Amino acid sequence: MSTQNMTRRAVDREQKSGPEPQQGPPKKRRTSNVNVPVTVLVAVLSLTVLIPLYFTVVTALKSPDQLGGTGFELPTSIHPENFSKAWELTDFPNALLVSGIVTASAVVLTIITNSMVAYAIARNMNRPFFKALYYFFIAALFVPFPIIMLPVTKETALLGLDNPVGLFLLYTVYGLSFNIFVYTAFIKSIPPELEEAAIMDGASHWTSFWKVIFPLLTPMNATVGILTCLWAWNDFLLPLVILSDPATRTLPLVQYVFQSQFNTDYSTAFASYLMAMAPLLLVYLFAQRWVISGVMRGSIK
Amino acid sequence: MSVPRLATGPAKNKLRSQTVNRTFYWMVVPALLLFVVLHTVPALTGIFYSFTNYAGYGEWDFVGLQNYVNLFRDDRILSSYGFTFLFAVTATIVVNIGALFIALLLNAKIKFQTAFRGIFFIPNVLSVLIVGYVFNYLLSNNLPLVGRALGIEWLSTSILTNPDLAWLGIVGVTAWQSIAFSVIIYLAGLQTVPAELYEAASIDGASHWRQFTSITFPMISAFFTINMVLALKGFLQAFDQIVALTGGGPGTSTESVAMVIYRGGFQGGEYGYQMANSVVYLIVIVVLSLLQMRTLQRKEADFS
Amino acid sequence: MNTEKSRTARWRRITGACLAVALGTSLAACAPAEQARVKLDFFQFKPEAVAEFKALVSEFEAQNPDIDVVINAVPDPDTAIRTLLVKGKTPDVLTLNGNGNFADLAASCVFADLSAFPSASRVKPEVQEILNSLGTCHGSETNGLPFANNASAILYNPDIFAKHNVEIPRTWDELIAAAETFKANGVAPFYMTLKDAWTVLPTYVNLAGNLQPRGFFEDIRAAAWTPQTGTHGFAKDGKEAAEKLKQLFGYRQPGADSAGYSDGNAAFAAGKSAMYLQGSFAIPAIRAANPEARIASFPYPTTNNPAETTLVTGVDVTLAMGRETKHPKEAAAFIEFLMRSEAMKAYTTAQSAIVPLADAGSIADPALEGVQDIFGEGRLIGYFDHQVPTSIPFTAMLQQFMLDGDTAAFLHRADNEFAKAAARTSTKKGE
Repeated sequence: MSTQNMTRRAVDREQKSGPEPQQGPPKKRRTSNVNVPVTVLVAVLSLTVLIPLYFTVVTALKSPDQLGGTGFELPTSIHPENFSKAWELTDFPNALLVSGIVTASAVVLTIITNSMVAYAIARNMNRPFFKALYYFFIAALFVPFPIIMLPVTKETALLGLDNPVGLFLLYTVYGLSFNIFVYTAFIKSIPPELEEAAIMDGASHWTSFWKVIFPLLTPMNATVGILTCLWAWNDFLLPLVILSDPATRTLPLVQYVFQSQFNTDYSTAFASYLMAMAPLLLVYLFAQRWVISGVMRGSIK
Repeated sequence: MSVPRLATGPAKNKLRSQTVNRTFYWMVVPALLLFVVLHTVPALTGIFYSFTNYAGYGEWDFVGLQNYVNLFRDDRILSSYGFTFLFAVTATIVVNIGALFIALLLNAKIKFQTAFRGIFFIPNVLSVLIVGYVFNYLLSNNLPLVGRALGIEWLSTSILTNPDLAWLGIVGVTAWQSIAFSVIIYLAGLQTVPAELYEAASIDGASHWRQFTSITFPMISAFFTINMVLALKGFLQAFDQIVALTGGGPGTSTESVAMVIYRGGFQGGEYGYQMANSVVYLIVIVVLSLLQMRTLQRKEADFS
Repeated sequence: MNTEKSRTARWRRITGACLAVALGTSLAACAPAEQARVKLDFFQFKPEAVAEFKALVSEFEAQNPDIDVVINAVPDPDTAIRTLLVKGKTPDVLTLNGNGNFADLAASCVFADLSAFPSASRVKPEVQEILNSLGTCHGSETNGLPFANNASAILYNPDIFAKHNVEIPRTWDELIAAAETFKANGVAPFYMTLKDAWTVLPTYVNLAGNLQPRGFFEDIRAAAWTPQTGTHGFAKDGKEAAEKLKQLFGYRQPGADSAGYSDGNAAFAAGKSAMYLQGSFAIPAIRAANPEARIASFPYPTTNNPAETTLVTGVDVTLAMGRETKHPKEAAAFIEFLMRSEAMKAYTTAQSAIVPLADAGSIADPALEGVQDIFGEGRLIGYFDHQVPTSIPFTAMLQQFMLDGDTAAFLHRADNEFAKAAARTSTKKGE
């Protein structure tokens, strides 16, 4: 199959270029002549991303009576009270904390457990049980969420999991389907001789996984971690149905205050949207290189 | 700790021995149990209710296949499938062509390559729901003003309130957000293409298009398959962006299947009926994805 | 069994509370003193009224130091209440909109019977009847007490009316004549907001509610109803209301298709149209856009006989109590506290609503003076759409109709949707 080729090619490349600590992917053609027309084209295309962002920021800074015009003008006066109002209406610090805890726990738990499951499956693909397991998890990828929505709501409540703990557990478990798919392809490219050597030295499978394999999975862990983080942070429907206590609402949920069909205060709403997007956006801006190369490495395997 | 240590004795060929090391079971069984409890059991429960008249609360009776019979007579359901297919197929094509195009540009010798790459990934960091709200406001309040100021007729009313065009608005916003991720995957794919191939091709005098069709595309066709399958599967389940952009309107022209299920089943109290719809929906998604994978992989083989 | 249950409940509450601590919400929650206090879950659906209910709750808590009322102001109330029911966590006390959704829940007996409550006897009987007729447990209980009513009336700008010498229309023809006068003078008669599908409803509920025969819904909501076999139907009885709706929406301003409800409130507040086809519920939003907005109201004239004019009124906020609440005494005390005339007056004044008590006296908001008499006389009907099953996308169909203007298609589609719902209902009955 072609994914195999892909993986082999990638591994070859990896071995040739040696370990490359977190810098962008290697630039292949190092000829210094820059393609100017393409640079201009890319710059113009990037405006499609930047203009809506600019629009969100200026709208958040305006007072309601400044919202006329085309909407792209700079605000005539800055209105930070939009933010304080949004802060209060959404109980922002609390929602931020809940979102932060749920996301961080989901990421950590996902990386630890999903990689381990994938490892066990990848190393035993020749056995019917593990092979069946692999296809079982992948098949679940195609089950649309509405089918499980109501029963899982009921079940989590029965188990006392209708709270943030239940929520990050669900992200961890539901992530299995996709993550196993990603991890196993990578693990297969790691030669089993590595663990065999460790085991000969007297290590158990358990330790050899943690000491030998897990560190090798770092690029994959980055990919899975980033994707889980984005998912858990931005998800709306799952927290909507799972969380029972009003004090434990996540950031996307509290944005709903502004979506009542009666009377929308757009300036405050946009200030709140911006505040909800900001934490992840800031993290991304600082870790940008790392995030992108993380996702890229992940997808090559 | 209850983890069995079986590493004593000769370890040679342990991995290839006939019996599976019990550690491997310890690694998968807890996760499997949780998965079954939190995913498989709910899924089976949902499928079970498709044969009942359960409202989501209160009492229920078995109704046999009646829900399925009613389903195929329901023109609202059928038109929601129509919209969903139209949307998903168009969005899949737009996103993949757009992403491939941008990835090729970003892979060229341009200035500020890393910065641009970073910019194009931003939409993927944002919540679909919030992006939808922002674009909803932008498309219905500001673009019409711009359109009127410039005297452009079709731009002077919101694209989202035009029953014939609203779906394009949804495709546009979805593409804006989803291209981000696909670009990165394609970029990764492009990195696997050995530079020597291009050098050889340009010595032979092959045009850019020729290089793309005979070198680049065949080399990244596996990435193309994965991207297409994941995109179609995701777009068939579109929900958040439609809620935020049109709420299914104007009229019911942009109601997706997931939305009809949510509204009729969870808000409308026809849970059993909409579960029958979900089961059909599941079958449709699986069949379409399998078909797509087969055709694309056959194509892949043709290329190589 | 019982102690087992309460022990797990307590365990769950304690873990919940400790989690709250972990989340940095409150440290006091884990204190042992919690045992003595009764905690009431208060489900509050109305996002515009968060402040009012917060004030009422703190007043109640001050009077009852041993009761803790936890307000749950929910996003998406329709889904929220259903998920709570699924989880078996029916709130102790609820506010809900008195619509078809509420009736569906009431009919499945998840709410307590409140007919013996002292305040129940003070409710205006016509209003209680409108609410109960939508559906109650066993068809005989009272599962919700009306707390605040709204009125669907035409809002108008008295300054613009005076300027163009237009009298308040009392008949359909006068309404059309008034619209023509404004149009001829370059004033927009109405400001229409077609982007939000539901904004077509206030007009339609008046037309259809008044022009379609009584007993319409008893017939078409019956099991196995079809347009062919039924006595009533949209194609048979719905034409006049549909045509009149189309006629009124023919006066819409350019750009109405992409205008939303907020735009409409702002425009009417700024005096951009003579009339506004909304209801009492829009008044606070209009005033938020412009505190000086000139607003008055009159009931919708739907025929040429003023004696036939009725007021469409709905229970905007109904109070309900969970049937299985663990604290029936405290929950009842809270409901009785809310149902005091003072509390209802304060609330309705802030929200431009109407007190649904028999002895309520005059409506507080001067903008609603125009509907005072007809409300007092009890010439009231409920919202037409509250009888439409929630599974039918009725507002979307109305919006579609206003966009394409195809009356026959609208009536046919409405009949078709009801026929499908009836087919599903008959399977619901098991037969």
